[in-house]
Amino acid sequence: MNRRTAQQGLKQVICISMVFIVLAPILLTLFAAFKTKADMVNTSPLLMPPVSRITFANFEKVLRDKYLLIGFKNTGFILVVSIFFNVLFGTLTAFILERFEFRLKKVILSLFFLGMLIPSFVTEIARFKIINGIGLYNTLGAPIVIYIASDLMQLFIYRQFISTLPVSLDESAMLDGCSYFSLFTRIIFPLLAPATATVVIIKAITIINDMYIPYLYMPKNKLRTLTTFLMNYANAQQGSWQKLAAGIIIIMLPTIVIYVFFQKYILAGIASGAVKE
Amino acid sequence: MKSLEKQKLRFIVCALIIPMVLLIGFVVVPAFDLIRMSFTNWDGFSKNFDLIGFDNYRAMFKNKDLWLSLRNNAVYFFGHLIFIPIELMFAVLLTSRLRGARFYKTMVFMPYIINGVAISYAFSYFFSPINGAFNEILTMVHLEGLIRNWLSDPKIVNIVLTFVSLWRFSGYHVILFMAALQSLPQDVQEAARVDGANAWQMFRNIQIPAIMLMVDFVLFDNIRGALQVFDIPYVMTSGGPGYASSTFTLYTIDTAFKYSNFGLAATMAVAIMTMIVVIYLIQNKIIHGLILKGGEK
Repeated sequence: MNRRTAQQGLKQVICISMVFIVLAPILLTLFAAFKTKADMVNTSPLLMPPVSRITFANFEKVLRDKYLLIGFKNTGFILVVSIFFNVLFGTLTAFILERFEFRLKKVILSLFFLGMLIPSFVTEIARFKIINGIGLYNTLGAPIVIYIASDLMQLFIYRQFISTLPVSLDESAMLDGCSYFSLFTRIIFPLLAPATATVVIIKAITIINDMYIPYLYMPKNKLRTLTTFLMNYANAQQGSWQKLAAGIIIIMLPTIVIYVFFQKYILAGIASGAVKE
Repeated sequence: MKSLEKQKLRFIVCALIIPMVLLIGFVVVPAFDLIRMSFTNWDGFSKNFDLIGFDNYRAMFKNKDLWLSLRNNAVYFFGHLIFIPIELMFAVLLTSRLRGARFYKTMVFMPYIINGVAISYAFSYFFSPINGAFNEILTMVHLEGLIRNWLSDPKIVNIVLTFVSLWRFSGYHVILFMAALQSLPQDVQEAARVDGANAWQMFRNIQIPAIMLMVDFVLFDNIRGALQVFDIPYVMTSGGPGYASSTFTLYTIDTAFKYSNFGLAATMAVAIMTMIVVIYLIQNKIIHGLILKGGEK
């Protein structure tokens, strides 16, 4: 019994250390965000400023920045449109690849597989020309099209989920005179709701956090996203950590909130994507 | 029956046409276009360019900064490799009987979902030479002698950045290992426990074989991830000082978008793609085969 208690104690110590390491950079940034310029020098970076000297001025400055709201709107718009099409195309493609046999199926499967294997960052060197050529450079269309076309993780999640649905379901629906289209819209799509929840949430986090595509394709001020807003804000605050710290905290918040509320779906999807490989 | 076949075909075509056009237009074509571009000296905007054969390839292999960048990628790879046993330990720990396991699971994965740019700035602050928390900690434990310019000393900058990468991505692997462990049937573990297996024996003889496939996946993910490290060095050091913390992907992107040498950049992109495909084939054909065979015994 004593040994078990000791073991449990050791486990707790290890886990608490882990929590400490995870939270440290976030908390230290939060402390800085509450400090005045003078307190950045006068107080230890490891501590909150004394309660009487806590300032909200740094947060106020970020929240007053008109580009924050613009970034919020742009990110929201990109998010909603991309995810809508990701879900629509993802469910349809996965359903067909999982349930039908047809000519060219192998070719299509290998194309999707190729799409997942190709490293995304460097592909932009060639994709840039295409996006430019069809006039999407410096428009919200650029990230939207790229996210819909190239981010394919939803196929894993949907295919795995569909493979657990009994085929007899399709057959009986077809016998009842359903068309393929109504089989999909009335029966399959609603059954995929739990997988869709996972896809929506994981995609939302990926898109909010993406820096590279908006940075590369949308240099225009009016097209800032939450993440590129922070990059611009950081360049403008060169050297005054307390101001940048408030910006960091505010940009971190949306995904942390989503995670805290929906972590069940996220963790389920993360694992299923990998197990399939 | 014939009309049903026809209906099926129509459904397949209608459903797949747009996703296929997007996939081919924005993923497959660019990938092949990279290969074509790698034989040109295109600058990214002018209409004219020359075919220059293998000049870019020759230039790439001679480029010392690129080799330095690739060596930096290796630092990330080895850092994450060394961390796999620790990640495994956490996975075993968090799936064992543990008070607060749910809370710890939430915490272990949180770094992965946090905005990468935001956390890179947070770590820049943490390691900053002025008012930085890390130096303050060292001072507190009387190790002032160790204080360095963490982000501008070429000798250690990659290790510091790898630490940030570990902070961000280790939780992902812990969750993957946990999923693999949880897919292990409980009765097998229970039977072993009844037979008096201790924790180490359980781990060595039951849990490890069961999750070898996941270890295999994580190894591949490590290589792929290490080759593509981009945003942490980009935000924290821009690859500097000089090219001391540049990575292969960062160098490739800069070659194209900063120095307008799209031909050479495409060559480097082809090199990354080749490395990833070759590593995938090795992993899939050789290692995968060995593990599955080993499992059958």
